[in-house]
Amino acid sequence: MAEVVFDRASRIYTPGAKPAVDSLDLTIADGELVVLVGPSGSGKSTALRMLAGLEPIDAGSVRIDGRDVVDVPSKDRDIAMVFQNYALYPSKTVAENMAFPLKMRGMEKEERAQRVRQAADMLGLTEYLDRKPKALSGGQRQRVAMGRAIVREPQVFLMDEPLSNLDAKMRVQTRAQIAEMQNRLEVSTVYVTHDQVEAMTMGDKVAVLANGQLQQYATPPELYDRPINAFVAGFIGSPAMNLLDLPRSSSGVTLGGVEIPLPRDVADAAGSRDKLTVGIRPEDWVLESTDADAGSVVKAVVDVVEELGSESYLYAHLAEDTSTSIVVRGPGRVQVRFGDPIAVRPNPDALHVFDAETGQRLP
Amino acid sequence: MTATLEERPAAEANVGGAAMIDRAEGWRRRGPLLPALIFTIIVTQIPFILTLYYSLQSWNLVRPGSQEFVWFSNYGDVFADSQFRTVALNTVIMTLGSVLIAVVLGLLLALLLNRQFVGRGVVRTLLITPFLITPVAAALLWKTVLLDPTLGLINFVLSPFGLSGTEWISQYPLASVMAALIWQWTPFMMLLLLAGLQSMPTDQLEAARVDGASAWSTFRELTLPHLRRFIELGVVLGTIYLVNIFDQVYMMTQGGPGVASANLPFYIYQRAFLGFDIGQSAAMGVVVVILTLIAANFALRLIFKSFSGEQEAA
Repeated sequence: MAEVVFDRASRIYTPGAKPAVDSLDLTIADGELVVLVGPSGSGKSTALRMLAGLEPIDAGSVRIDGRDVVDVPSKDRDIAMVFQNYALYPSKTVAENMAFPLKMRGMEKEERAQRVRQAADMLGLTEYLDRKPKALSGGQRQRVAMGRAIVREPQVFLMDEPLSNLDAKMRVQTRAQIAEMQNRLEVSTVYVTHDQVEAMTMGDKVAVLANGQLQQYATPPELYDRPINAFVAGFIGSPAMNLLDLPRSSSGVTLGGVEIPLPRDVADAAGSRDKLTVGIRPEDWVLESTDADAGSVVKAVVDVVEELGSESYLYAHLAEDTSTSIVVRGPGRVQVRFGDPIAVRPNPDALHVFDAETGQRLP
Repeated sequence: MTATLEERPAAEANVGGAAMIDRAEGWRRRGPLLPALIFTIIVTQIPFILTLYYSLQSWNLVRPGSQEFVWFSNYGDVFADSQFRTVALNTVIMTLGSVLIAVVLGLLLALLLNRQFVGRGVVRTLLITPFLITPVAAALLWKTVLLDPTLGLINFVLSPFGLSGTEWISQYPLASVMAALIWQWTPFMMLLLLAGLQSMPTDQLEAARVDGASAWSTFRELTLPHLRRFIELGVVLGTIYLVNIFDQVYMMTQGGPGVASANLPFYIYQRAFLGFDIGQSAAMGVVVVILTLIAANFALRLIFKSFSGEQEAA
């Protein structure tokens, strides 16, 4: 049980080059599950490894429960880590794998066995305790790795893409198990993933990283509703938000010859900029009749239709400007095929507007 | 109707033709390997059969016309020969002792080379060099440059401590030969084990660090089990090679004094080409081949088991 604080923590691989993690400021409250999410090379894994003591902290500091751990070796940080490839010890049985951290701390044999039994019980591994890792399925291996972390009863759990080697169904199932287990144990957890769905569904809070820098640190709904910049807007949500660079008009912006009015506060914040990046989520388009007046709807031509049953996604390009593509969410049974014309109108209350140069949210 | 009747024989002819084509094709594909096969049989199997035949003869080259058929009496003599037993024991000590010491030293060097330090490439090359030297040259180097009682470097280094004057080769003949063998085979073991160390998944080592393992526990609990099959491979390959070693014994001690440093290949050579007792040495050769086959069979089964069955996953 502990609070974890990154205080302007940096990791610089080669002096002079751009840091892999650049002055990261992050506070993980006691018992919270925080997800670090970002594309490859965003520094999320490096940040986790800095907390684990597997990478040095070149500047700033990291504190666990108020204690600066910059010079504390991994084994004395009271953390447990689940690795992407599980890192099980192949020469040891499941029970020996799970007991290993306890053995290394000099715990009595009986107590070790008892704790392993408890954890195995909780994870449904009791019947596999005598097997070697190679005789287990991917999901079972993943649970052994979790078990090895749980038996320690550490102050902080660290998880480095623990679900990325599982198949889609297993991943959804295990995702829920981990979240449930974390709630029960109330141990502060830092979870790294590149999958924004995992981030949104599991995290109490989510930190979005890109190029070694923290972009936004907020709860999942806040990230979705008020992305702080164009990167976060495009990264969170699936399919991704439509981000369109649009010219200013008198009362708003123009898209495909259609005037889209902007709310007063946004228009004020936009000031005299002559171009804006406007973000529209796929579900924030309204499908209109193709007979509607040219000035009131945006006309587009469908390229691909993805039908998911409960809903469908239409990938289309604008009739007027073929280089601009948009994604529109439609109803489950949509009578539209490749090449059909559609007419759409963005919901004016759900627009996300960003500075076209810096990508910062307006206002 | 007529058409089908006419077609049938044609189809059968085709089947026969296909079989013939198959056979011809088979010869064409495998035929070029035949000379190599015949050559191998000539140089390995025929001498072995001749050896079997000689081993049943009483035949000493010094007494021409003495050749006669004596059944298995040569084999009886082999097992009654106390020198043969001494030499067999020497062979075991020399082979297993050298291999095991080379594995331990090779492991220590591999662990050092597995770390990052300035000049690692140079050090690695230097450490491999002994393995690249011709065995005869290496033996000569040990005999004269290092172990010579008056001119040798070892006595020179020991002289400030008042330890000079040891006649290494005549006082410790077996150990001297083994020293040369170990010196030459340690680099091989080192390379093999270094490859093993570098194939160790780093995330396991990191997991051990987070789990609180000390360097020694990591080595004992994780690295050593991972290296097991590499060690087994090194021991088996080293043993197969060293059991037949001849150069070092011949160059350094000539098996002496007496048979104190002789191994089986050298002793057989001595009996055949210095003692001229063809029947006796042929019988020894056959005994050695049988013992080697038994040992090699166990050894190979061991490595096949550990390389096919063990882990990889997880």
